[in-house]
Amino acid sequence: MLKKFLLLLFVLLILLTFTACQANHQSSQQQVGLKKRKLVIAEQYGLAYAPIQLIKVKKMLENAEPGLEIEWKQLSNTAAIREAMLAGRVDIGFMAIPPFLIARDKGMDWQIITGLAHCPLALMSNQSAVNSLADLKPENRIALPQPGSIQHILLTMAAQKEFGQADLFDNQLLTMSHPDAMNALLAGHEVTAHFSSPPYLFKESKIEGIKSILTGQAAFGGDFTFIVGVSKSNFYQENPQLYQVFMQTLQKAVAELSHNPAQAAKNLAAVYDLNQQELLTYLTWPGMKYSQDVQGLKRFADFMTFQGYLTSNNFKVGNLVKTNSIFKIIGETEGND
Amino acid sequence: MISLPDKFKQRLGWILLLALIWQLIAASHFFSELIFPGLDKIILTLFTSLTNGNLLKQLIFSLIIIAQGLTLTVILALSLSILAYFSELAASLLETLTALAHPLPGIALMPLILIWFGAGKTAILLVIIHSVLWPLILNLRAGFNAMPSIYNLIAQNYCLTKLEFLFKILFPAALPYFISGLKISWARSWRALISAEMLFGAINSLGGIGWYIFQRRVFFDLPGVFAGLVVIILIGIIVEDFIFARLEAKTVQKWGMSK
Repeated sequence: MLKKFLLLLFVLLILLTFTACQANHQSSQQQVGLKKRKLVIAEQYGLAYAPIQLIKVKKMLENAEPGLEIEWKQLSNTAAIREAMLAGRVDIGFMAIPPFLIARDKGMDWQIITGLAHCPLALMSNQSAVNSLADLKPENRIALPQPGSIQHILLTMAAQKEFGQADLFDNQLLTMSHPDAMNALLAGHEVTAHFSSPPYLFKESKIEGIKSILTGQAAFGGDFTFIVGVSKSNFYQENPQLYQVFMQTLQKAVAELSHNPAQAAKNLAAVYDLNQQELLTYLTWPGMKYSQDVQGLKRFADFMTFQGYLTSNNFKVGNLVKTNSIFKIIGETEGND
Repeated sequence: MISLPDKFKQRLGWILLLALIWQLIAASHFFSELIFPGLDKIILTLFTSLTNGNLLKQLIFSLIIIAQGLTLTVILALSLSILAYFSELAASLLETLTALAHPLPGIALMPLILIWFGAGKTAILLVIIHSVLWPLILNLRAGFNAMPSIYNLIAQNYCLTKLEFLFKILFPAALPYFISGLKISWARSWRALISAEMLFGAINSLGGIGWYIFQRRVFFDLPGVFAGLVVIILIGIIVEDFIFARLEAKTVQKWGMSK
């Protein structure tokens, strides 16, 4: 019996070595792949990602760097982007600051390489009796993408500010994608409030009976970057040139959205399946601002550390961001720094 | 029953071996710790979740929902199958319904269920019932139909009433099929429950084991995800090796219907 077990152990170990070799082989192939210049970029759906969409439709990266192969991935949630980046399948990903911090806290070696957009966010309700957080009853359900998302952290910030208890609404959350949550809000049952982002926020605010009961800025206590670009440090260390090309291309796309939104709306109408005029209204909605500056990082990190969402409390904003002359970090000196 | 301890020794041996290999890979740091956490971390997370967190309550909540779903489904499946056994018309209707509904994964029905019933406990129960009902009916009917027709003649000889026939002959004869149907149902109800919980979010204030795993995932806590999986595996082994094995030993094995 023992002999058989030992034999089997031996066979398994041999198999293991083979798979390990294979994995090695794959990763070396991947490195060659990077030298062959393939860039994998992951984003989500939403107006905040408009500069990325512009780069995609206008083939700006391909034009800036002939021979560069680009793979675009549109994933349905932040957790999926994070996991893909951890597995080495994605070079640059876009997400909000809190999910970035959570993974960084757990030991993922990555940095913010750029800001992307400031957007209005708001908690929208369809009930006439609900006009503020205080009106929400324990049985009312709040739809948001997932715990640990920026929407969730903003809600806890507001709950902390108003009621002194950050997790007050944590038992009322309903995990829903924005389109599902919007439909539930329109249908008028199950969901009392939806922490929404553009374009869903704009669509919802046009509907009678649906109104904002809390804005993201009020919850945060100021302006903040909604979406940032992140990459693992080995990406820009091993591919400095590719990194620089990407940053400059993004700079151009952001400039077009800021200075010539009409042109951008024309280019992007098909992508967002909206007519040009409607898209232009959305792109220039008060509070929409495309910029590579990173704002609010320190306040998010401080709040999340204070509430126990982050365990290692030695974050220095300088370590979290790969700085570049293209953009500024705003609000670094606020608080106890 | 005598072979059971031996079987457990072997199983324990295999589990220890796999655990050892797992730990060796983790300790080699060939993969990042974020991708491949060691067993020590997983067990530690499991322990803290059980003692400090809500994992135990979430687990009980999940098990209660499964028990409710399974009870409802068994009653439903038995009544429908018996009806179909005695009535040709009901049988053809049931066959049609099974053919239509069985290929539909519960997950595919979720958007519909969400709109019609909201994201409450009813929705999860419906998903469980849907995932379990059709395979259970198929098994029960196969069991009923596999009964040798000579048993029917015996029943006629003894002038048994329909009710007596049902409880003394038809049920015992179909029991091996029923038990294997139950095993499938149990496994499928777990799957349905966990996918439903991961999609809908917390159903009561705490949610169940699926919600626990989802929460661990969004907070990038892989040891926590594994801890949730370990709990599911343990429950599966306990139910399979103790509850179902006992049930079989006391019935179909004792009666000499299966080994």
